[in-house]
Amino acid sequence: MLARVANNLFWMGRYIERSEHVARYLNVNYFSSLDAPNIKSQDRQFVLRSMLFMLGDPEEDESKFLKEQDVLYSIGLDPNNPFSIISTVKLARENANSARDLISTELYEAINKFYHFVLSYPKEVFVKNGLHDFTSNIAEMTAILRGKIRGTLLHDSVYAIIMMGINIERATQITRMINSKYNDALLSQGSHGDKFSKSFEWTTLLKCAESYDMMRRFYKKTPTSISTLEFLILNPNCPRSVMNSLNQVNEHVRMLNPEKRYNNDSTAFLIGRVRAEYEFKYVEEIEKDIKSFIEDILDSLVKISNKVDEEFFNY
Amino acid sequence: MFIAFYHVPFIKTISMANIENQIFSSYQRNPDLYDEIYDKEGKVKEIYQKLFEIYGEHTISDYVNLNSKAKSSFFNQGITFQVYGDSNVQEKIFPFDLFPRIIDHKEWDIIERGSIQRSKALNLFLWDIYHDKKILKDKIVPIDLITSSANYLDQMNGINPPGGIYNHISGIDIIKHNDGKYYVLEDNIRCPSGVSYVICNRTALKKALFGVFNHYQTYSVTNYAENLLELLESVKPKGVDVPNVVVITPGMYNSAFYEHSYLAKTMGVELVEGRDLFVENDFVYMKTIKGPEKVDVIYRRIDDQFIDPLEFRPDSALGVPGLFAAYKKGNVTLANAPGTGVADDKAVYTYMPQIIKYYLDEEPILNNVHTYHCSRPDELKYVLEHIHELVIKPVDEAGGYGISIGNKLTKAEIEKVKAEIKENPRKYVAQPIMSLSVHPTYIDETESFEQRHVDLRTYTVLGKDKEFVLKGGLTRVALKRGNLIVNSSQGGGSKDTWVLKK
Repeated sequence: MLARVANNLFWMGRYIERSEHVARYLNVNYFSSLDAPNIKSQDRQFVLRSMLFMLGDPEEDESKFLKEQDVLYSIGLDPNNPFSIISTVKLARENANSARDLISTELYEAINKFYHFVLSYPKEVFVKNGLHDFTSNIAEMTAILRGKIRGTLLHDSVYAIIMMGINIERATQITRMINSKYNDALLSQGSHGDKFSKSFEWTTLLKCAESYDMMRRFYKKTPTSISTLEFLILNPNCPRSVMNSLNQVNEHVRMLNPEKRYNNDSTAFLIGRVRAEYEFKYVEEIEKDIKSFIEDILDSLVKISNKVDEEFFNY
Repeated sequence: MFIAFYHVPFIKTISMANIENQIFSSYQRNPDLYDEIYDKEGKVKEIYQKLFEIYGEHTISDYVNLNSKAKSSFFNQGITFQVYGDSNVQEKIFPFDLFPRIIDHKEWDIIERGSIQRSKALNLFLWDIYHDKKILKDKIVPIDLITSSANYLDQMNGINPPGGIYNHISGIDIIKHNDGKYYVLEDNIRCPSGVSYVICNRTALKKALFGVFNHYQTYSVTNYAENLLELLESVKPKGVDVPNVVVITPGMYNSAFYEHSYLAKTMGVELVEGRDLFVENDFVYMKTIKGPEKVDVIYRRIDDQFIDPLEFRPDSALGVPGLFAAYKKGNVTLANAPGTGVADDKAVYTYMPQIIKYYLDEEPILNNVHTYHCSRPDELKYVLEHIHELVIKPVDEAGGYGISIGNKLTKAEIEKVKAEIKENPRKYVAQPIMSLSVHPTYIDETESFEQRHVDLRTYTVLGKDKEFVLKGGLTRVALKRGNLIVNSSQGGGSKDTWVLKK
């Protein structure tokens, strides 16, 4: 596979995954805030700020009044905002275009439909009453894309590169959500005696990661800070957890490099090292200093991505 | 809607009165034009009868519905080209017609044999003019025709392309005149495009109207890629066991990018850009995730002038520095070979009957349109006096540009054309205005079938001692009423083309 095209496929995977997480974050936060148990979590300003924070574009001015329609447009459909859903979907399709000969017709057609759906979504409808329709369609279409990737591509290096992109992005987005909701949980403390560890925000976080039901099944208790973090970071069986994503990245890098021992300068070595670190962590360690944990994991993911770039995309 | 086309027992004969009310009821037939489906008396020709019955059973609204479904299928598959507007980029599909053109096996046999004959003659001609130049020495083709051609590459002199093939892929544009005979309008042996649309058109038609295929034994067109790959592999460089074939494209913003990616995908080979390749010690390599990998055969969709900035245009960012040096050493095959453009020149075209006779000692199977050379004084005189009944063509333009059709010009325009010809007679040839045959074509604006002019591009692939002609080809339609220019760059559409088995 051409190095340039591998780069395109890697980012195609990342952008598909990114658009889904952003869409779900908007959807879950907006709708769960409508009947949230405390005033702070119900506050529309609070929710809009959380959305911007998660996107990496926080509003620093605390006194500024945010207009709902402006924020939604900016995150959803503003083509001039590089973090918006429409921008990531465009990039996903553009990357697919230049690798069009390597992916299946079925996958390309699904990406193309996805792109046209987002591109032609009417702005006025979206900001007024289309949020649910738009974001749930994105979630469904990305599920179809994952199905086409899994079900119509040869499970070879093309597939491995796409899956690495998807899983690095998934770990990144889940960590960003944890960061954002951790922040919200701190901010919403105190009103109605809602303690940090039992904050309503943990439930929202699990729903943002589409992991709430399975978390309830696993712990059989109301989510707390510690159980939520354990589930979303360390549980290897939760398909959205950081651990699961790292395992996936590890498995797929091995498809590219089947040898048993790795040069300590290789991507496979770095991924194996990071993965091993999280495999033998316990949640109390993380809970002591969530902020540093988040910084560390984001930093490791950036390093992995740069290493992939250096090893596979640059000749 | 599909059910209507499939289960209704349309095999029964339908009364003419019924058809009158259906989709062909408002079809206006101009008796001066050669209609592909009606004979002179206005009766539907035998091979079209069944199709006519099947289509005739349906109302316009059925058809409109199918048409829009077919269009959205093209759109969703991304078989589109881009139109750059003021603020945003729009994607459009190529106009496509659901009423197919049918060619019976007898006519096809002539087309196929004729296409192979021309492609082979052109190949021998190219070998000759880049080696001994016998045909020029024997004064069959005038020497200044070649030396004055912008497409003649001095760099190709004495080079032996692997397998002895120059024009691996030839696109020959053929029309049917009102005498019912086929004529070649031009040979395209640089980078002929459009073959992916042949296959897309078939796929779309099969999805929309699968029932009609029960009544016709039609050759498949999906075998193009496998044959292309086999023949490209047959012209591998010396010393290579299993050749590594790639397709090179100018990139995803090129208007034919869909075709490039389609061909690479269906052949199962890499689609590369210039920046993915490099040359070391006169061998070509591509940059893969596992390091450099040698490349042996390059199906190039980049024009001669852009393939190697060291040898041709130095400002080209599309090509590969050193590629031509590797080619000269015989370490890589380029398909088509550089310098083929000299032979698809419209001035060389006029010598095709002589070229075929000279190399193959055969009579041309497909007719040439009679051509007047403005470079010859007596013919120039005739052309200047008869512009109103001639088509004037620049010899070195592709895509239908620069063509003047005499009977469509105003007096002032005629004078302008005359002045242009006089200024540079070598640049122009003239031909009688050929009457391209017409075919019923669905027109969106009027929601009815109307007569439109059509031509046919055939695709011939030459390999080492083997050749292949795609049994189908691209029927192009001039969508503007009365227009004779069918090129997609000039608003042309296309039709699925069926070649019937015996």
